[in-house]
Amino acid sequence: MASISVRHVYKTYPGDVTAVKDCNLEIADKEFLILVGPSGCGKSTTLRMIAGLEEISEGEIYIGDRLINNVPAKDRDIAMVFQNYALYPHMTVYKNMGFALEMRKTPMDEIDRRVREAAKILDIEHLLDRKPKALSGGQRQRVALGRAMVRNPAVFLLDEPLSNLDAKLRASMRTELTKLHKKLGTTFVYVTHDQVEAMTMGDRIVVMHNGVVQQVDTPQKLYDAPCNVFVAGFIGSPQMNFLDAVLNKDGKGWYVEMNGDRLYIPEAKATEGLNAYVGRGIKLGVRPEDIYDDEAFASANPDWTLDVSIDVSEPMGSEVFLYLHYGESTLTARVSPRTTSKAGDRLSVAIDMSRVHLFDAESEDAILN
Amino acid sequence: MNNKKATRGIASLLLALASIVYVSPLFIILFNSFKSRTYINLKPFSLPNSETWVGLENYIAGIDDYGFLDSVGWTLMITVGSVLAILLFCSMFAWFITRAKAWYSRLLFMLCIFSMVVPFQMVMFTLSKTADTLRLNTPWGIIIIYLGFGAGLAVFLFCGFVKSIPLEIEEAATIDGCGPISTFFRIVLPIMQPAYITVGILQTMWIWNDFLLPYLVLDQRHYKTISMVIQMMRGSFGRVDMGAIMACLVMAVIPMIVFYLAAQKHIIEGVAAGAVKG
Ligand SMILES: Nc1ncnc2c1ncn2[C@@H]1O[C@H](COP(=O)(O)OP(=O)(O)OP(=O)(O)O)[C@@H](O)[C@H]1O
Ligand SMILES: [Mg+2]
Repeated sequence: MASISVRHVYKTYPGDVTAVKDCNLEIADKEFLILVGPSGCGKSTTLRMIAGLEEISEGEIYIGDRLINNVPAKDRDIAMVFQNYALYPHMTVYKNMGFALEMRKTPMDEIDRRVREAAKILDIEHLLDRKPKALSGGQRQRVALGRAMVRNPAVFLLDEPLSNLDAKLRASMRTELTKLHKKLGTTFVYVTHDQVEAMTMGDRIVVMHNGVVQQVDTPQKLYDAPCNVFVAGFIGSPQMNFLDAVLNKDGKGWYVEMNGDRLYIPEAKATEGLNAYVGRGIKLGVRPEDIYDDEAFASANPDWTLDVSIDVSEPMGSEVFLYLHYGESTLTARVSPRTTSKAGDRLSVAIDMSRVHLFDAESEDAILN
Repeated sequence: MNNKKATRGIASLLLALASIVYVSPLFIILFNSFKSRTYINLKPFSLPNSETWVGLENYIAGIDDYGFLDSVGWTLMITVGSVLAILLFCSMFAWFITRAKAWYSRLLFMLCIFSMVVPFQMVMFTLSKTADTLRLNTPWGIIIIYLGFGAGLAVFLFCGFVKSIPLEIEEAATIDGCGPISTFFRIVLPIMQPAYITVGILQTMWIWNDFLLPYLVLDQRHYKTISMVIQMMRGSFGRVDMGAIMACLVMAVIPMIVFYLAAQKHIIEGVAAGAVKG
């Protein structure tokens, strides 16, 4: 019973900094929702407003059916995990975890039971008598999670909880958090700017930019059908390639044209909406994996080829990144490690036009996905 | 390599000399306190021998004739009371003005800093007059005055320390169910322990040894601090009993030395903690 509803919420900091603009989110019970975006886009601010650490300038936030705008943080039935863990340095792990219950005058044996239960799940039973400064980063992280868990909150709020860990530990904590979410059956709201975390952990992802929610969707939908240039560029690594082009139509169908090259859009993909853009400038978005350097694909699709030269080739083991020079711009292609192309080559690459994205040149909104 | 060793040797030697110079007055006082008064004046730098040795006579004289024990009691009471008041109020104040982002926070902080710059001599006459009018001329009243004079440095040090505490810790406490009062006493106060020790030591030594403020403010008919008693031994009687003075000085200094030795480890920790984190 802990859905969260954020309705037309604004946050203005003193000095007229608007950190969050007209934010609307419907978070379902037991959902794992991820807030992602570049630094300073208002993710933490949004989370902190849900937590009650930041006043809501305008709008309403509900947890369950309860309007919580004026409910103090301690009564919102939430728990928060901070980026720097924020453990109480003068208390043992045991005290840290039991502190919230102690403040609520829970009987000692009940505190003991719940602390030990959480410690067991997180595998930190042997650390209960230590002080935080005698713990490693990963262990502190677990204690911070444990401190949140013992309270059985309706909502878990996590603000970049893994960003202080090294890459390997982060990867293993990622799966553990996902498991923990399943086990606890609680609503999680998770802030990160790491898109691997976003893509792998979340049921749904909220992409924010400059305080405005851009798109809310499942990871795959977000990747396949980004609603604008920002989301398209933000999700996916390496980034989507963008080319300025002109959209037009001839006897063979819709095509985009740049530097005199014409790439035809398959009939099945074209929509009614394109008619408004006849002869106008658009942005063409191509994912790196939709650029092919092999002969077979290019000769099968002669309408989809471009002549390029290879600037740099980066073998990554499981794949090779080619940085291609085309006209004025640089394209990134992700190709098979068996490729024979190498830096300095001039060749013809084919773009899978059934997978491209078109965006309005001015508003940058998606026209075709 | 050799050069380095030589430099070190010279440095050690110089520092050893310096420490002897620093400590020697204490020892001179100590062994003079066991000599009879005539010999203190005649041979101030010689060790007591069978001829000059008077045992505890000087100590007994100091205690019996000059009301020394009373003054120890008052000094202790003033020192402990003032230091506790400074620690409690200044730390709360520092925490508040650091965390509350109100327009007056900065102003209050500046006022505290400013109070450190004003020399005591500039305000002492108006102060003693005001203290008389307000009936602060008692050991209880003087605690309030010490609170005022101690606040500058204490607030400055506490503010520096509070800034080094991550705000998230207090936010976590808010979510865990603490109000401002319990956040302060259960979270902030224990974390600030090193700052309390540093401030506590500095203030204790100053207030214990202070002469001018109690001399100007206290009603001398009823209350005298140690420094006042010792000064009166010199001035207000026909004869100057150097023996008793020496004995009282020793008795006044010993508590501070014991206190300092006990707290020494922490003062270094406290200063270092502030330095690294701040
Ligand atoms: N206390 C504050 N006073 C004024 N402006 C603030 C305050 N806190 C945040 N801001 C501003 O609000 C905007 C959003 O900040 P927020 O902390 O939500 O960003 P974020 O998305 O969490 O970024 P990051 O990934 O760096 O943590 C930023 O432009 C920031 O400068
Ligand atoms: Mg943030």
